[in-house]
Amino acid sequence: MTNSYTRRAAMRAGLAVMAAPMVQRHALGDEPIRIGMPLALTGPAGEIGLQMRHGAEFWAKELNAKGGLIGRPIELHVEDTAGDPATCVRKAQLVVERDNCHLLFGMVLSSEALAVVPKLAEWNAIFMSSDNGDGRLTGSSFVPNFFRANISGPMETRAISLWLRKAEFKKFYALGMDYAWGHNSIGVFEDEVKKAKKDLVGTVYSPIGTKDFSTYITKIRQSGVDACFLVLQGDDNNAFLSQAHEYRLGDKVQLITSIVDLNSISAVGDAALGLAGSTRYVFTIDNPKNKAFVAAWQKEYNALPDVFEGEQYQACQMLQAGIEAAKSIDADKLRPALESAAIDSIKGHVAMRACDHQAVQGGYIVKVGKVPEYKTPIPQIIATLTGDDITPPCRQMTFED
Amino acid sequence: MRILAVVVCVLALAPAGLPPYAMTLLTEALILGLFAMSLDLMVGYTRLLSFGHAAAYGLGAYAAGNLLLHTSIPLVFTILLAALCSGVVAIGVAWVCTLASGVSFSMLTLAFAQLLYAVAFKWTAVTGASDGLAGIPRSPGPFGITFFEGRAGFYYLVLACLVAAFIFCRSLVRSPFGAVLRGIRENEAKTLSLGYNTRRYKIAVVAISFTLGGLAGALYAPFAGFTNTELLFWLFSGQVLIMVIVGGTGTLIGPIIGAAFFMLVSNLLSSWTDSWALFFGAIFILFVLFAPQGIWGLATRWRSLSSTG
Amino acid sequence: MDFLGFLVTQCLNALSQAALLFFLGVGLTLIFGIMRIVNFAHGAFFMLGAYVGYSAVHLTGSFWASLVAAPLLVGGFGAAFELGILRRLYRRDHSAFLMVTFGLTLVMGEAIRLSWGVAALEVPAPKSLSGIVFILDEPFPIYRLFLIGAGIVVALAIWQFLDRTRLGLLIRATSQNAEMVHALGTDVRLVRSAVFGIGCGLAGIGGVFAAPLVTASLGMAPNAVIDTFVIVIIGGMGSFAGSLIGALLVAFVQVFGTYYFPDLALALMYLLMLIVLVIRPGGLLGKEA
Repeated sequence: MTNSYTRRAAMRAGLAVMAAPMVQRHALGDEPIRIGMPLALTGPAGEIGLQMRHGAEFWAKELNAKGGLIGRPIELHVEDTAGDPATCVRKAQLVVERDNCHLLFGMVLSSEALAVVPKLAEWNAIFMSSDNGDGRLTGSSFVPNFFRANISGPMETRAISLWLRKAEFKKFYALGMDYAWGHNSIGVFEDEVKKAKKDLVGTVYSPIGTKDFSTYITKIRQSGVDACFLVLQGDDNNAFLSQAHEYRLGDKVQLITSIVDLNSISAVGDAALGLAGSTRYVFTIDNPKNKAFVAAWQKEYNALPDVFEGEQYQACQMLQAGIEAAKSIDADKLRPALESAAIDSIKGHVAMRACDHQAVQGGYIVKVGKVPEYKTPIPQIIATLTGDDITPPCRQMTFED
Repeated sequence: MRILAVVVCVLALAPAGLPPYAMTLLTEALILGLFAMSLDLMVGYTRLLSFGHAAAYGLGAYAAGNLLLHTSIPLVFTILLAALCSGVVAIGVAWVCTLASGVSFSMLTLAFAQLLYAVAFKWTAVTGASDGLAGIPRSPGPFGITFFEGRAGFYYLVLACLVAAFIFCRSLVRSPFGAVLRGIRENEAKTLSLGYNTRRYKIAVVAISFTLGGLAGALYAPFAGFTNTELLFWLFSGQVLIMVIVGGTGTLIGPIIGAAFFMLVSNLLSSWTDSWALFFGAIFILFVLFAPQGIWGLATRWRSLSSTG
Repeated sequence: MDFLGFLVTQCLNALSQAALLFFLGVGLTLIFGIMRIVNFAHGAFFMLGAYVGYSAVHLTGSFWASLVAAPLLVGGFGAAFELGILRRLYRRDHSAFLMVTFGLTLVMGEAIRLSWGVAALEVPAPKSLSGIVFILDEPFPIYRLFLIGAGIVVALAIWQFLDRTRLGLLIRATSQNAEMVHALGTDVRLVRSAVFGIGCGLAGIGGVFAAPLVTASLGMAPNAVIDTFVIVIIGGMGSFAGSLIGALLVAFVQVFGTYYFPDLALALMYLLMLIVLVIRPGGLLGKEA
């Protein structure tokens, strides 16, 4: 049991405070496997954090019902970082030092992850990322205790680019959010367009928090392109799609986006119709494991699983595979086991790569359309690419061919 | 003075009694305390309400971060140098902002801070843009002392800086310079008519305030090991202003307590519930309604009540 | 796109942006003019308006209903807050208002999250306003034309209200000299409650107008606050005409500035604010110096 006590010294003296964390407790038995999960539950990234939390809780519940992992119950220690890197470091330290977690999930934003990873060695903690897309995490900022189970930014951009090589579009524009992820992905895209011998007519970056995209829409129209690559997320993405729909931009220009997710579709409704793009996970993936997962998920949450819920579940399964192989959660034993972990996940065959701890996996291109069984438009898979196609060379963010 | 000595002694014993995570929280609380106290010089003693004090912190943090990452200047000197950088930039900023007064002054500070944020956000080479600087090391202190690199050692460095800054500020506000500041606070026109160049005093207090705020930022960079643009954002400026008000303006000690209170309560609450913002906001509203002099005001009232009782 | 078509489209874009900014700014400036309160929670009222609008559309199926419901409910809530809490603080230092409205922002933000959830919500514009018209061969959304119209109508309405009605007169008088108004027998407290309510109501209706463009989302509040401040500071705190000019200036600078200098997009507003303040510390039409 976690105690809850407060010790207060005189006015300015130190305050040592321990509060009851948000912990899922499980029945007695062995020492539980404690996994810390600092992530944004409030603030603009809160939506994604909530998805990740659901994914992890679902996995833990499923596993604990079957007797736990290597016979031990799983205990998740979830903390809210509000999407702020400084708070994330503090909360990560909290779950490591106060709650004795040496396994970490969570950290929605790449900026949060980048701030935490330098400390993983000191904390002797392993972090299995389910969402961070920044190429540098398996590149220049790589640390041995970091593992990425999800599709990265360069990978999803590569998926789009490979699909575009065969598509009829010739001239492109690119619009991205003006920060690391936007620049990273558009940089890769630029490279890819050149290799495909097509034309990137222009690039523009919008500040985070842009509410009115009319100027950017004008630029895209004026450029005379037939497709536009978008690297936007959250509110900015929703605002752009709503407004592009207003101007009927989609009639002239095929909008291609980095991440297509159900939340965004429900926020913008018909404005999402016709949108094409890469997705990291979609509930329509056709394999028995995914079908079972979707059915079980619907039973539990009465909703279809979205991108980050699926990705988190896969990340949990990767960690599980590593722990089962190592029969231990000790970092030094777990690391080599994770480096060679491979699973048949809800997305097909996924194998961790030892050289940069990136999980090699296939990518999906989807297009949003109306389907009779579902009330709202859904992403339908229009192309699939293999892991070898889309995963960059070790520690790289760009591709050779 | 005696109480101060007692409190400092208790704080000095903290590493022996507190678990590591609590030590980290305490160190950060002291850093924020220094930051809040620096703002009090402007807000509490001169009635210069700044909505852009995050600029001081950010400047100090980025300067220290760059120095620690790219040079081998010893830790203690790096921190002092970074604080000085912040103070020097402040002179220019203050020169422009003091062209106005009252609400307009506050708005100018906001404008500057946001501009600095915008610049930092785009200037990848120096600030790492939206990612900030990561992996900032704690380089060895002067004369090869490695004491400050450890958790307890760094804590003592922070404590020493806070105590030194506090003593400095207290002497400052009790000096003739401080008297002029209070004159500006109470009635600037009259102080001006008495022959004081109030604008110069204002510029000076902003520069001092920024230097100390920059010191706090410079301590933060090696403490957390990273800096990012959130440290320059207007929300952070708002938060430190709240810390000062909650603690009690114009008291120097109040803001330090306010900062510790703010940090610890927000940490506690966010661990306890997703709806921490609700309770946090409610606490502020209650404070305003029932404890207008802030925490320090409550404490002094309680002390005077119990001593007369 | 030929140059004239481009110019006209961009100007219309700027005007529609200005309309939204104006709804935000006019409420804040009225509140400041009367009460000298810097309403930190203004963005939260804007956001509340968008969410109330969402619910109203879902309950009644009518966007027009939400245009009525949102300002009334949000304004009512604002007036209630003023009555219950702000009223006790007038004798106090202005830092009290800062803290109280800061606290209110936190409370409102979380209350909205608890009530409507964390996902962004679609607020569709009514069918009649959803199409496009062609202006000089360029498609332009009807909804944005509607926004421009709404902005003009509201601006005129407020102008006439301040100029011709009794309450408007009282508001203008109170902003000049509250003591005198009180001495002449009017309950200044009622004027203040009314103004705070109206100001919040305007923010609320702004939220409804904005929602079809940006969806109702939790990120609206902090975003809106800084924008509103900038407009009002540039125009002059407490000046109705100033909020109009500020909104127009910021919108045009943003639209054309972002087009020609996209790298400066983040900094444009603040640069403008700095320049204006250096030239006229009280803002373009402000009274303070």
